[in-house]
Amino acid sequence: MIPVSVRFFGRRALQLVIVVLGIAITNFFLLRLAPGDAAQVLAGEAGSATPEYLAALRKQFGLDQPLPVQFALYLRNLLSLNLGFSFRQGLPVLELIAQRLPATLLLMGTSITFALLVGSAMGVAAARRAGRATDTVISSIALLFYATPVFWTGIMLIVVFSVWLDWLPVGGMTSIERGYTGLAYLKDVAAHLVIPATTLGLFFLAVYTRLMRAAMIDVQQQDFVRTAVAKGLRPGRIAYRHVVRNALLPVLTMLGVQVGAVLGGAVLVETVFSWPGLGRLAFEALFQRDLNLLLGILLCSSVVVVLANAAIDFLYTVLDPRIELS
Amino acid sequence: MALVDIVAHIPPARIAQDNAFFRTARQPSAVVGVLLLGFVVAMALLANQIFPGDPLDFVGQPFQRPGEDPSFPLGTDMLGRDLASGIFHGARISLLIGAVATAMSLVIGVGVGAFAGYYGGKIDASLMRLTEFFQTIPPFLFALTIVAILQPSIATIVGAIGVTAWPSLARLVRAEFLKLRHGDMVQAEIALGASDMRIIFRHLLPNTLAPIIVSASVMVATAILTESSLAFLGLGDPNVVSWGGMVGAGREVLRSDWYIATLPGVAIVVAVLALNLLGDGLNDAVDPKQERR
Amino acid sequence: MKLFRAISFQTSLVARLSVLLAAVAVLPATPACAADGPKRGGTLTAIVQPEPVTLTPAFNTATPTQIVAGNIFDGLVYYDPALKPQPSLATEWKVAEDGLTISFNLRKGVKWHDGKPFSSADVKWSLENVWKTIHPRNKAIFENVATVDTPDDNTIILHLSKPSLPILSVLNAVGAPILPKHLYEGTDILNNAYNNKPVGTGAFVFKEWKKGEYILLERNPDYWEPAKPYLDKVIFRIIPDAAARAAAIEKGEVQYATFNPVSFREVERLAKLPSLKVDTRGYDWLSPVLYLDFNVENQYLKDVRVRQAIAFALDKEALGKVVWYGYGKPAVSPVPTALTAFHDASVPKYPFDLKKAEALLDEAGFRRGPDGVRFTLHHDFLPYGDDYKRTGEYLKQALKRVGIEINIRAQDTAAFIKRVYADRDFDISSSYNGAFPDPQIGVVREYWSGWLGSKTPWTNGSGYRNAEVDGLIQAAAVEGNPKKRTEDFNRFQQIVQRDLPTLPLLELRFFTLHSSALKDVVLQADQSYGSLKNAWFDQAPAQN
Repeated sequence: MIPVSVRFFGRRALQLVIVVLGIAITNFFLLRLAPGDAAQVLAGEAGSATPEYLAALRKQFGLDQPLPVQFALYLRNLLSLNLGFSFRQGLPVLELIAQRLPATLLLMGTSITFALLVGSAMGVAAARRAGRATDTVISSIALLFYATPVFWTGIMLIVVFSVWLDWLPVGGMTSIERGYTGLAYLKDVAAHLVIPATTLGLFFLAVYTRLMRAAMIDVQQQDFVRTAVAKGLRPGRIAYRHVVRNALLPVLTMLGVQVGAVLGGAVLVETVFSWPGLGRLAFEALFQRDLNLLLGILLCSSVVVVLANAAIDFLYTVLDPRIELS
Repeated sequence: MALVDIVAHIPPARIAQDNAFFRTARQPSAVVGVLLLGFVVAMALLANQIFPGDPLDFVGQPFQRPGEDPSFPLGTDMLGRDLASGIFHGARISLLIGAVATAMSLVIGVGVGAFAGYYGGKIDASLMRLTEFFQTIPPFLFALTIVAILQPSIATIVGAIGVTAWPSLARLVRAEFLKLRHGDMVQAEIALGASDMRIIFRHLLPNTLAPIIVSASVMVATAILTESSLAFLGLGDPNVVSWGGMVGAGREVLRSDWYIATLPGVAIVVAVLALNLLGDGLNDAVDPKQERR
Repeated sequence: MKLFRAISFQTSLVARLSVLLAAVAVLPATPACAADGPKRGGTLTAIVQPEPVTLTPAFNTATPTQIVAGNIFDGLVYYDPALKPQPSLATEWKVAEDGLTISFNLRKGVKWHDGKPFSSADVKWSLENVWKTIHPRNKAIFENVATVDTPDDNTIILHLSKPSLPILSVLNAVGAPILPKHLYEGTDILNNAYNNKPVGTGAFVFKEWKKGEYILLERNPDYWEPAKPYLDKVIFRIIPDAAARAAAIEKGEVQYATFNPVSFREVERLAKLPSLKVDTRGYDWLSPVLYLDFNVENQYLKDVRVRQAIAFALDKEALGKVVWYGYGKPAVSPVPTALTAFHDASVPKYPFDLKKAEALLDEAGFRRGPDGVRFTLHHDFLPYGDDYKRTGEYLKQALKRVGIEINIRAQDTAAFIKRVYADRDFDISSSYNGAFPDPQIGVVREYWSGWLGSKTPWTNGSGYRNAEVDGLIQAAAVEGNPKKRTEDFNRFQQIVQRDLPTLPLLELRFFTLHSSALKDVVLQADQSYGSLKNAWFDQAPAQN
């Protein structure tokens, strides 16, 4: 068992390195196809500039170097796990990402958990009344959330829960002016988290509703359940016992796929809710031609996706011994 | 994120078992899907007949609420453009974006999946690395980057969605090919000396068509949603009227004039819903293991 | 020193703005505060959007940087509603009759936030190392300052080789930022760590910058102006989405936001709430003008009749009313009316007239084809939000009526700047610029041919080249006689409005939204960039 898992992790690590290098190389050149550069953006925002000012900025940003030199520098930095420097932000890329990653992970984790829990509950409820009106209503609601643009849901939730009902803050992550610490701070962050996490979670709800509903129905049809039913046991009880295992694998698979999608959705949600996360930072870096930073975030999100999927593959084998690590 | 990815990511051995959740869709919902989609397609086809003229023209007073003026049944936007006309003409662009982007994804995804599944070995390994590579970049972030680099226009938006949406399809097709590749029929063909292309196109692909069609219907829906998100972030094509663009433009007056962003938003919901319902229905229709409950 | 005369810069503005002054003067006399005057205390939450790049205005003149920095730094002067300089770090100043010597008396006892004393050495160092070199806007204005004398810690004397009258229009905290010499001397200014944790002399001290979230400033207890500032803290929050900004303002989470923080339609709605006030003052120092640049090298646009036809085909009234919701008034000249000393109302005008537009296009030889189209042009709109996009959409539909097909191109800022100013791969672009109190600062850069080929953003975008205009611009820059200078600028306006390489569309009116509990918010012509040291809360802001 141990050698297999060692080989598994070794292969995954190698894969990670290859993917990261591939992404670094591709994105480095892809991003440099973008018209304009960071100096032009800065000069543009300033509303006025002189050629000398532009030249000084380019020199500061290293944009005056030929492209191969820039690339060699980037690769050298990358090999020493240095993602470079964001001249626009005046900070190392790694530091910027480290500042923003927790907010994004918090948002992602909460929204996926929300989607998983609520979605599963809805799926189970639908399966128990499969084919009846309740089922149709639940399935339709889930699908409706899936079909509604995320940003629209977000703005609507703000209007209803922040402005009209006045239950929750409009955006941001903390009430800065209150200067909370300790438990009060955590409560404050939680209050700020509710609407953004719900917005993102609602979009992914449908998937889990369907998975759970399918798994439940599937279990109900299996022979051992039919036998049990024939013996007079209540099908519901049996189903619950088996449904978790039956549903867990597809749910896990789904989680792996969704890591990337949730990161993408975070761009929208973080923008609508002024959530200080990576998605928004990436979006801003893109428009500011802060390529070192953007490249760093793209790399970082790819690493998150690869790691999440490796973890999920590993979990498979734990949950279902029939599956082997490959 | 498309629901179809669920299918694509389930290891091949369990496909049959997990297809079960598609079984759950009932025929009535598929019928509803077909009806809704038919309505949307009719809107696109009849846009020029019902609303002749440029939907971008300023034809009336700005900010007329739905029903306020009988000549603008759904009201007008902030520049006095007819919302009903916009929604009808927008159906064309949104469906076009969905269809062309999906067609692109189909060509890439089916191609990669088929070759990887059929040939296996090194070809499979390298094609799958490519797929993984595309899968590790969050698709929306990737599409956003591409559109920003190439600058927003219908062509670049379609291209960006098409290029980022195919990996899950490739995995799906590969899984199906792997299953069929070692079947008796294919082995017999090989024994008879049939060319690889003939086997792929005449035998394997037709047998894989069902899940591909199911995926495609959902991919169209996802493409429409993605376009609307891009437009929300300011990366739409201002020369044409699309639903996403209308929602994007209307969002800044959402509080005072809710209908400007909401009505095209409803159109998006209807189309996406229809395509998903249709996907379920198609899946039921083509899945031989389908059991009615 | 020789004969000095007191500054009477742009006195003609006083008359026009006296109404505003009166309004401001009335403010403290309202019943709510008649008895006790300004109250101390409270935290003001404001919005800065987008997030600033740096908090030091020395080499970055972007609006967000200036909004925050105006609170941390003091200028030599600030500008009152009549655009007249008023004492800040400089208590008195004098310009010699020949315009070649300018001297300032500096305030005594002023300290930097780190406790070090402020002196004339700081001003001299900033002038020589910032204003004359890396400041994006000031280079031309301070170019002729030959030597700077600092006879003592509180006196600074500028000796000019040629007069430079606009100097007195840029001396506020963001126009001519004074950096602490002791922290910057001998360092690489662009990379100095204090750029992001600035040390100024201003009413508020920089405390914390949480990237992507907020910038926190605290009251400067040692501020040189007694009792000020009144607020304990100022928080600038970063809120990227306009709808979320509107919600935060409506709810009272935010009490102050400048530079059109919400959409025009939203401000119509919010203005009706008793808890909020809308103010369009405080932007006169900037005087923004929306304009179109025509690429004069384009095969159609090189014909002046085509450019004039486009001017006739656009209904600027409607543009201001519908597209800009009334927050713009038709511009007659590139020098806006707020610059009363320089604005020339007698320039050639282009009232909305479709027949005339069609006639000019026919005359130019571009007749309508069988499909009704004369020719097709691309339009690149300024990617600063929906207002400019709608302006482009208006242009497209308006020009369609005279047979010109417009293809709108969307792009982001970097691509826009590269396309228009570096690649010159455009036909018609839209943009806005700040005219500032003197045409030499903001206006002439659009027309001076000296910028051509330099690929510098927001300079001569049209590609216009006219020797007479160049001559007038250069003459005005070193003209010491205000009357003669005005004549130069009038002639300049006449020519460029005839040649029309650039079509001024609207004088934009920006707005500020603030809580009605917040008093004395807008007291200066440069308030939008200025300090909140006078602002105070009449009652605790309604926060939820």
